[in-house]
Amino acid sequence: MEILNEFGINPILLAAQAVNFAILLFILKKFMYKPILKVLEERKKRIAESLKNAEEIEKRLQETNEKIDAMIGKAANEAQKIIDESKKEGVLYLEETKIRAGRMAEELIKKSEEAARAETAKMQQEVMNKVAEIVAVGLQKVTGKILNKKDQREIIERSVKNLS
Amino acid sequence: MESAIVLKPEILGYFKNLPITNTLLVSWITMFILVVLSILATRKVQLVPSGLQNLFEMVLDFGYTTVSDLAGEKKAKVFFPVVMTFFLFILAANWIGLLPGFATITFDKEPLLRSMNSDLNMTLALALTSAFLTHSFAIRYLGFLGYLSKWFSLNPIFLFVGILEIVSELTKIVSLSFRLFGNIFAGEVVLSTVSSIFAFIAPLPFYFLEIIVGFVQAAVFMMLTLVFMVLLSEKHEAH
Repeated sequence: MEILNEFGINPILLAAQAVNFAILLFILKKFMYKPILKVLEERKKRIAESLKNAEEIEKRLQETNEKIDAMIGKAANEAQKIIDESKKEGVLYLEETKIRAGRMAEELIKKSEEAARAETAKMQQEVMNKVAEIVAVGLQKVTGKILNKKDQREIIERSVKNLS
Repeated sequence: MESAIVLKPEILGYFKNLPITNTLLVSWITMFILVVLSILATRKVQLVPSGLQNLFEMVLDFGYTTVSDLAGEKKAKVFFPVVMTFFLFILAANWIGLLPGFATITFDKEPLLRSMNSDLNMTLALALTSAFLTHSFAIRYLGFLGYLSKWFSLNPIFLFVGILEIVSELTKIVSLSFRLFGNIFAGEVVLSTVSSIFAFIAPLPFYFLEIIVGFVQAAVFMMLTLVFMVLLSEKHEAH
């Protein structure tokens, strides 16, 4: 084959180059393709995992947020309830206090009235005693004699009866 | 500079029966560099990559995605190492061939270094390897009978088609090897010619061009091998 000779084709050289390729294929496969493809695969897996994790975290976050919102809503409701209740209670208490105060005032008034009445009675009694004494003294002066105890009493009682 | 238009690789010496050509030497250097790089890149593989590991991860990830898109996840595991090695080997050889010192350093009045793929021996060997592996995979996935039924049929029309297919398989080898060889060899010739006209700055655009050509040829070789593998290892449609 003239043309092959022209290009310097040599079967031994062909074989040598084929062997070169085989050696290179073997070494590269062992030292480059395997470890790098493995790490690529691993990274792909890792990324997929992280993405999944991120999704889950987001979901959980949303859930937590919802829970917090619900809790806050509930707490606000409760607070409102407490406020309302205490308001109502306050009003009630005020009313009660008012009533109680009114009652106390009434009592006080009644008491003072009673006291006043008692005082008046006492004073009347005193005045009557004084009057009786004065009358007795006057009678003594008028009659000029000292009435004995029995007379005195009689006279006083009679005059008192007349007075009243 | 008549040495630029020599098709045959220069023989530097003999190791027993094996002629050590300058292209074979460059092939070994390329292999050595690739192996060292791959060991450096994966010396301590980290989940958070950096430096060389990052670079090779990018390349391999792109390659693996391409292969698995075309071949499917299951076959990709088998095809990928072969296809990727073709790509890296050819790419590295093409770019190393552009370094200074190639064709200028001489040994025994012959250039010591010559771009690997400017020798038909090397590209033909790669094409033959590609074809051999393609057919091996076809037999592996189809079984021997299934493989044979791709080429031979009792139906005379399909028998004829089968013969055409066999011819086309041979053409694949020729086209793969000559495409790569032609591109790189032409690049070498252009570079040396332009350099001999004016050695400063003038060759620079051609160097950029050769960088692109080197990449494109490696990618083409890889893609064609991949496509041939996928096509041949696919089950034949029922007639």
